[in-house]
Amino acid sequence: MIELDFPILSALIFLPMIGSAAVLAIRGAGEKVIRYFTLAVSLMVLILALLAYSPVLQSGVGAEFNYVEGPITWLPSLGGLDYLLGMDGMSAVLVLLTAFLSVLVILGSWDLIKERQAAYYFLILLFEGAMMGVFTSLNLVLFYVFWELVLIPMFFFIGIWGGPRRKFAAMKFLIYTHVGSTIMLLGFIALFLFSPSHSFNFTDLVGQIPFWLQVVAMAAVFWGFAVKLPVVPFHTWLPDAHVEAPAPISVFLAGLLLKMGGYGFLRFNLGLFPDASREFASFFIILGIITMFYGAFVAMTQKDLKRMIALTSVNHMGFVLLGAFTGSVIGISGAIFQMFNHGIAIGLLFMLSGYIHEQAGTRDITLLKGLRKNMPRTASLLVIGSLAAMGAPLYSNFLSEFMVIVGAISTDVRYAVLMLVPLMTVAYFLWMIRRSVTSQPTEIRKHDLSNRSTLALVLYIVPLILLIIFPFLVLNVVDPLATVYTNSFLGVTP
Amino acid sequence: MTTPYILMALLGGAALLLPVLQATAVERFNRRSAGYFTIAVLLAALAIVLYPVVSFTAESGGPTSAVFKSDLMALFFGVAVLLVAIFVTITSLEYQQDDPNISIFYSLILFTSLGMTMLAFAVDLLMIFVAWELMGLPTFILVGFRKKDPASSEAAVKFFILGALSSGILLYGISLLYGVAGSTNLYAVVDAMSTLSPALMPMGVVAIALLIAGFGLKLSAVPFHMWIPDAYEGAPTTVSTLLAAGTKKAGFVAAIRVFLIALPLFQMDWTVAFAVLAVLTMTLGNVAALTQRSMTRLLAYSSIAHAGYILMGLAVAPFTSLGIVGALFHVLNHSVMKSSAFIAAALVAYKAVGTHLDSYKGLALRMPFTAIALTIALLALAGVPPLNGFWSKLVIFAAAVEGWPGVWWAPWLALAGILNSAFSLGYYGWIIKRMYLDEPSQKSKVIEPIIFRIALFIGVLIIIVTGVYPAPIYEFARMAAASL
Repeated sequence: MIELDFPILSALIFLPMIGSAAVLAIRGAGEKVIRYFTLAVSLMVLILALLAYSPVLQSGVGAEFNYVEGPITWLPSLGGLDYLLGMDGMSAVLVLLTAFLSVLVILGSWDLIKERQAAYYFLILLFEGAMMGVFTSLNLVLFYVFWELVLIPMFFFIGIWGGPRRKFAAMKFLIYTHVGSTIMLLGFIALFLFSPSHSFNFTDLVGQIPFWLQVVAMAAVFWGFAVKLPVVPFHTWLPDAHVEAPAPISVFLAGLLLKMGGYGFLRFNLGLFPDASREFASFFIILGIITMFYGAFVAMTQKDLKRMIALTSVNHMGFVLLGAFTGSVIGISGAIFQMFNHGIAIGLLFMLSGYIHEQAGTRDITLLKGLRKNMPRTASLLVIGSLAAMGAPLYSNFLSEFMVIVGAISTDVRYAVLMLVPLMTVAYFLWMIRRSVTSQPTEIRKHDLSNRSTLALVLYIVPLILLIIFPFLVLNVVDPLATVYTNSFLGVTP
Repeated sequence: MTTPYILMALLGGAALLLPVLQATAVERFNRRSAGYFTIAVLLAALAIVLYPVVSFTAESGGPTSAVFKSDLMALFFGVAVLLVAIFVTITSLEYQQDDPNISIFYSLILFTSLGMTMLAFAVDLLMIFVAWELMGLPTFILVGFRKKDPASSEAAVKFFILGALSSGILLYGISLLYGVAGSTNLYAVVDAMSTLSPALMPMGVVAIALLIAGFGLKLSAVPFHMWIPDAYEGAPTTVSTLLAAGTKKAGFVAAIRVFLIALPLFQMDWTVAFAVLAVLTMTLGNVAALTQRSMTRLLAYSSIAHAGYILMGLAVAPFTSLGIVGALFHVLNHSVMKSSAFIAAALVAYKAVGTHLDSYKGLALRMPFTAIALTIALLALAGVPPLNGFWSKLVIFAAAVEGWPGVWWAPWLALAGILNSAFSLGYYGWIIKRMYLDEPSQKSKVIEPIIFRIALFIGVLIIIVTGVYPAPIYEFARMAAASL
């Protein structure tokens, strides 16, 4: 367990939040100043995240909570309601993902967001801070506070800067996720009242929950996580939200917001309810498989490039759910690794769909023709992003999907049927590429990405390639935690 | 011990003095100064109420034969209702400035504040009734204060008839209880009830039913809620604030005292009744709010829904100490949230933008300060963290869950409450959507008067500070509940 004198986790949460307040304070200073200021804040957060990540990696302490801050009492007479933060392997990976994607989103918004920029960057930093809070809170109420705080910026992102049906999408998103979250809160309350430790603190609850309460609480928190992940049939808000959201916000949605669901399933089902999870594992595995196949099938039929990518993430997040409940080290670390890889690969694709829409005026796959000739840089990046997303072995997505499938097959050979999923993914991505990239253009009209945008997009590819060569950079952080979760899932005391 | 008497002298004296001052010193005593005088008096009253709290000299629990009991419970409600009265007066400075009878207006506000605070302190059934009337009568006039406006008069008549009915029912219940128990002091009633002969029991049950109905009218519990939307819509909006956030809350203190002190013998009878009332009230409030087209009516129905949440806390009170704590906490939070929302609505109406929900379209561009304040108040009403409404709802839902296994329906009550709360974001969110996402029909900026800004700023500040650091107010509520 690593301890620091400096409250690095609070800094990760509150530096962006203070930054967001500062954006409002300097809103008169001009849009350029605001953009550079926001970028500077997010870079500082990225440095902090790296500083927090590398000791966890080097000393291999991903299984425990590091940099624990608190407990600082929040509501004294309601026992165990404290300000308590900590970072284990999964938090470290997701915090790094949050910090990294925030920088890229800000860079990506440079060309695409032209209106009400002060409000936009204010919300961007607020969102980043809230995400950090979700991934590092060790108190259930604190977790819920950040969990809900994420909704408000996202509602305005979609509602103000979104496409033609943005209002509908924003309201649907808000109500859908809020209903799921409140039922989740009921589960938290039950945990607090009926667990012997009588606490909201995660660390007090681990291993203390009787089986019946695990089942009850699992049934309640399921709604919150299932909507976010999303699990079919709770996914219907996602295509609408994605299609209407501006491209950088889609990166946030798919890259970070969906990860909240995956994080929740891993953290709560495996960390707090291992016995109930073991008992009902087949239910979750089947849900995961349905989600994967459904996402793949529906993505195949889409004409809108962005909607296709959105449904790809339904397909890919199914891997996370599946991996979590395989009860094998390789499956669980594969699930966490998949969250990281998917966040980056899908971010690249969403940004590209945004640029394509801006430059070609359409996102309809059947109308986009000959991108190879008209938009060579975009086309190359689109091919690279598709290769990454479909799980081609050049990129780390291959590794994480492979790990999840191996984990699944190791529990039951019949799960070999899962090999069909990457196959389908390859099929619809290649079909999309054939129709829009390699086809003959109807007219020659050259226009392409600016150098800055190209650079920002290339940055997405770096970690994907880096991690297929050096997967230990993530797996060494995640594996100790996956071992702990596997042991508790299987009921083994190490 | 002396707090209620000081308040009586201060608020009552000031209320009597105000019209005299205006009549005798017209030159020097202009309209604004009547308002400032009222605010000063209310602030002094607030200080008097807070003094026993901060100096720890509030009366502790235990029966008393006196008419008043200045325990933390009374002081807690005193703070809540006086805060609302201050909000209402501040906004009336601007809202009512063209009214010729402005001193009477403030005088009535002081009288109803006196009634509300007396109700908080009263532990004698007759005193409760007197305070109830003192609180009610001025509000009938305030609702009809714009006598040229037919809507205002109609609202006042409706409100008056139902108010008189509720007073009659209440008084009938009290007299039955007196007949059964032989005393009007709540604690004496308890003693008498514990040795009551079974033959008189049915009489006691009838008395409870009458009390529930009498209080229910003021609390806006279903099925006594019909007058609320009409009265709130017809009344000057600042007066609606007083009704929704003030007098209704004072009704709760009487209900809490009577049901928790005097009638523990009938626990089963009234907890189920309250649970059913709670679910019906919040569901009807929320569903009806969703269909409204007028902001004041929407807020009226939302306040009905919130009465349902508070009733939830009362319903499980015998089984968990959290029940009353949550109810009290929500009373104070709701007073602030609802006042802020109503003040924003009053400002929008006052600036002739309108009360129809469509007039809120694009409000963020026309009245940015009001829009952000209203957004925060609405999110707090919806129970979104980290705002104050979240915490009190959390405590209430926790109380409902903890009622199990005392009563089998408790978790279902919690589920009903939480789904209602989630559902309510539908219509609150819809208003936020109109303000921020829709295009305004007119683009012109609207001036937001400084007085309204101050009131909204104070309200939003309390909402956020309580949300981020709820401990002091929660502790206050907890100790108040323990002082019963």
